[in-house]
Amino acid sequence: MSSQNVDSAPKPSQVQKSGVRAAFEYTGIPPSWFDKRPKLPSRNWLIFLSVTTSIVGYYVYDRRECRRIRADYSSRVEHLAKDPLGTTDLPRKVTVYGAKWPGDEDHDKSLRFFRKYVKPILVAAAVDYEMVSGRRSGDLANRIADEIKTRRRVDAGLESPSQSPVPLPNQPTLEQKRKRELEGGIVLVGRHTLKEFMSGLKRGWTESMDRADREDMLAQELASDGRFDEPEEPVVDPEVVDGEPLPTRSRLLPSQNAALFSPLQMSSSSPSKSTQSISNIPAHLDTPPSTIPTLPTFLLVPFTNHIGFRQVPNMLWGFFNERHKVRAGSEAAYSLIMSHMRPFAAPNTTVAASEVQESQPDGRQGGDLDFDLPAESYYHGAYTPSETEKARNTYYDTLPAKLATARALARGTRTSTKEEDSHPPPTEVELRAERLKKEMKWRSDEAGWEIVKPGQPAQWDERFADALQVFDEPRADDVG
Amino acid sequence: MSFLGRGGPSPAGGVNHERVEMAINEIDMVSDVFNRIVSSCHAKCISPRYAEGDLNKGESVCIDRCVAKFFEVNKKVGEKMQSAGASAQATGSTSFSL
Repeated sequence: MSSQNVDSAPKPSQVQKSGVRAAFEYTGIPPSWFDKRPKLPSRNWLIFLSVTTSIVGYYVYDRRECRRIRADYSSRVEHLAKDPLGTTDLPRKVTVYGAKWPGDEDHDKSLRFFRKYVKPILVAAAVDYEMVSGRRSGDLANRIADEIKTRRRVDAGLESPSQSPVPLPNQPTLEQKRKRELEGGIVLVGRHTLKEFMSGLKRGWTESMDRADREDMLAQELASDGRFDEPEEPVVDPEVVDGEPLPTRSRLLPSQNAALFSPLQMSSSSPSKSTQSISNIPAHLDTPPSTIPTLPTFLLVPFTNHIGFRQVPNMLWGFFNERHKVRAGSEAAYSLIMSHMRPFAAPNTTVAASEVQESQPDGRQGGDLDFDLPAESYYHGAYTPSETEKARNTYYDTLPAKLATARALARGTRTSTKEEDSHPPPTEVELRAERLKKEMKWRSDEAGWEIVKPGQPAQWDERFADALQVFDEPRADDVG
Repeated sequence: MSFLGRGGPSPAGGVNHERVEMAINEIDMVSDVFNRIVSSCHAKCISPRYAEGDLNKGESVCIDRCVAKFFEVNKKVGEKMQSAGASAQATGSTSFSL
């Protein structure tokens, strides 16, 4: 009422400020900041940040899941690694086979998959492994077939088992070695490896157990071919035929004079007319056995290699989703470690066992041989016989010219030019060797593709039904 | 391994000092390699905390692979050194590069 009571009514400028403003007013923060409202960044920034964050976040999530899955499976099997092992005992050892993926120049991809996804669990469980890689298509099949033939020869008593050069005291006997192999296991990475393995297995147990040196056989076949003949003689058979015996022999004589020093020619003068080497094993030993000894248990690991421009989306998907591969690999390793086996599921054979190749158009055979069938479609166009044909044709077109140069220089019919002095052209022996190498490569590529191509069924024999087992996931009742 | 097949019989006349010298060097090298393997693989494979004296399976496998890798690498390095030494001899230079 009295106007003298002019209290210091709070002027607008002296309003009590609250909260952040009050606390930070004198800290040096620009005052305009207190009046700003929080707002989202602009539309473009939002788009950028959300896309980046989601990609990076998905990647981080995937890798963390991978780590978690690996740690989970490792922890399940770690207790096995802590068991004591005597000083003369050996740990369990598995053999890992990884063939070359058709179309991929890098033959190591299968084994790399094994190393990255399956090996960590095996290491955690203290299971030793030995990796065998197939350098070229068909290499693994040949190797398996050779090993089986060696084993058959050793069993038949024709060969003594391989001894190490130094006689060590604790050498295991053959029985112990085989037993150890059986307990170990075989890991096949990918369907192509399975096909090569089965092909090698069938060949090893069906063919003669004679030691077949492929290079020698090919050399003999090539030598009876008309390629290195003198140009005066009409070359009758430009294409390779299974060494015709008599007609080409007369035509070989002129070139024999020219190349007497060639070691390959000397082998052809021996009377081997066909490409089959004469078996020096008595026939009664050489018949394929009717039962096959049990093989170590298989572990089938699914593997698909994405190569080529069209599969870049698959590669991107794989980059962001490695956890599926980790899970598959770890599951496989876990089932191997737990050693839970089941017999190999034989394919459906409705026709006679000798014509087992019959199968539906998409290559389905039923049973375990259909393992990872979709993976085949990824290497559909990887190899075509026409590319070898083209390479062959270009090589054989240029061969006569090189041959003429080599022979002219060797016989001294003309002196060498200056470039030929500095870079001597290949001699006839070198040309033959080069031809042998090329033919080996082309034929093995063709043969390997025959084994592995999509639609080609995996080889099977009814003897295998009793000899093969597969590692399976442990059932719920036997907890690891 | 280089020491396999060594140890020829000493000549009837007495001790061949050169041979003895070579044998001593051989033993030195081999025991050096052995000591390196032991210390390296022990450091890598055997954890410092353990409860019993026996090796367990994990350590066994680790040591097997460690020794195998060591010998592989040793062999490869030896071959490289040999070829480097041979090429250095051929060119007659005092220094060599690997």
